[in-house]
Amino acid sequence: MQLAINIAVLAAIYALIACGYVLIYRVSRVLNLAHGELMMLSAYLLLTTASLFSKNPLIAIAAAIFLSLCVGVLVYLFLMRRMTGEMVLAAVLTTVALGVLLRGLVVLVWSAQQQNPAQALGWVNYSIPVFGGRISAAGAALIITTALVYAGLFLFLRFSRYGIRMRAAGQNPLLAAQRGISLHAIYALAWGLSTLTGALAGILISLDSGLDSTMVLIGLKAFPAALVGGLDSLVGALIGSLIIAAAEVLMIYYVDALLSDVVPFLVLILMLVVRPWGLFGTREELDRV
Amino acid sequence: MSALLRVEKLEVVYGRAITAIQGITLEARKGEIVAVLGTNGAGKSTTLRAISGFLGLDDARVTEGAIHFKGKNLSNRPPYLITKLGIVLVPERDKVFPSLSVVENLSASVSGTGADRKRLEEMAFNFFPKLAELRGRTAGLLSGGERQMLALASAIVCGPELLLVDELSLGLAPVVVDDLAQRLVEIRNTLGITILLVEQNAAVALSIADRGYVLENGRVVLDGDAARLRNHPDIQEFYLGGAGERRSYRDVKQYRRSRRWYG
Repeated sequence: MQLAINIAVLAAIYALIACGYVLIYRVSRVLNLAHGELMMLSAYLLLTTASLFSKNPLIAIAAAIFLSLCVGVLVYLFLMRRMTGEMVLAAVLTTVALGVLLRGLVVLVWSAQQQNPAQALGWVNYSIPVFGGRISAAGAALIITTALVYAGLFLFLRFSRYGIRMRAAGQNPLLAAQRGISLHAIYALAWGLSTLTGALAGILISLDSGLDSTMVLIGLKAFPAALVGGLDSLVGALIGSLIIAAAEVLMIYYVDALLSDVVPFLVLILMLVVRPWGLFGTREELDRV
Repeated sequence: MSALLRVEKLEVVYGRAITAIQGITLEARKGEIVAVLGTNGAGKSTTLRAISGFLGLDDARVTEGAIHFKGKNLSNRPPYLITKLGIVLVPERDKVFPSLSVVENLSASVSGTGADRKRLEEMAFNFFPKLAELRGRTAGLLSGGERQMLALASAIVCGPELLLVDELSLGLAPVVVDDLAQRLVEIRNTLGITILLVEQNAAVALSIADRGYVLENGRVVLDGDAARLRNHPDIQEFYLGGAGERRSYRDVKQYRRSRRWYG
């Protein structure tokens, strides 16, 4: 049972991160390789807001989320917006550079030491017994948040006018512009949503297991999850995350804990050989990259 | 009456070298259906792209002349703002979002400022009752004629004052084309908008147009009332395929062209 709970928590982590990759890829065909770093930045921002609002943990978290959202939109406005109309590769390389920059910045500002935002907020990460196993409070929060985020995204993309326009712009930007859709507004929205979900992931992970610059690696491991599912599908990201998480947890349990960082990429390579466009991705979509 | 759209001495160059349009002047007045005729490469689509702001994508640009809409110069306006101004293009191909349903395609359209969106959506379904039956159908599964209907309906939801239609008849059966052409007239009559119709099928275009322009090699070679154009011997001979009295082809190129066209 504990194994199933561990898988669920890890899958929730990967899924929450992976939807950020999917959102941006789906509307602009750009792989945001700075997603892990942006996520880490959010966790560090929480560290700062936690010291500012030490009496009100919820305000601290809300402030950190708001700041992260601002970072996402600013990154789009000042960096990625200029990439519109350029080659996709140029945009992807820009995100790589941004990632390296952010990693350096984080160490400069907050030092490379292991930090603990939960402590800064005065929270204790209780262990809750469920179905004969145990789950940490932050782990439970991760699962609930992921479920809410996916439900919200699904409803947004399916039924809201802006969600539909996001799908439209992702499919045919030219026609979208002809129908009066401002692509810049849609891309900014995608970046905002992507960093928002990334921030939620970063903050909750840091509350669960502390924070240092290795968090980037978690962001990187969520990338195979997004790819295995098919980069342009949210359902795919969810199922991909489950597959990667299950493979990782089972390998750690039955073989060796050292394998944990390798397994996601092993699964990724296997997937790329068998079905390069992912489980739920569209074939021609991937050809365009 | 002053012109709603006025294209003045427009010159468009592709990639610094090829002049696709060499000084085209044309205008469209409020409530008119204007046909723009010409064969492949005559500059029809380029003219439409220039008006709707999409030249930059093809590495093309306006080197001379200007385009005015309601007295405003359109140069350097991004496409989505041109749409919001009231100029909506129905492109030649890729005219619907294939993975979106019919209703979602309409939802994706952004209505221009001050437009009554609800009314526009109702209108769109009124013009094309068939689309109401197919509301939930994925657009990728529609037939060619239904797609064209959906494209026109989506454009109407944008609340256009000027509708640019690129090749209404392309790849469609004659019956469907006649039906769509009648809908265009109906749309014009009901909404009082202006329609600029770019067509290779001169017979269809001139049957519903008030006026027309004939482009060749990036120039306007003929223009006037649709009735006059219909009866013009050159149009009869080269565009309508009529057995007029004039049998002598003016040059080999046009001879070949008309052979290819009707052969």
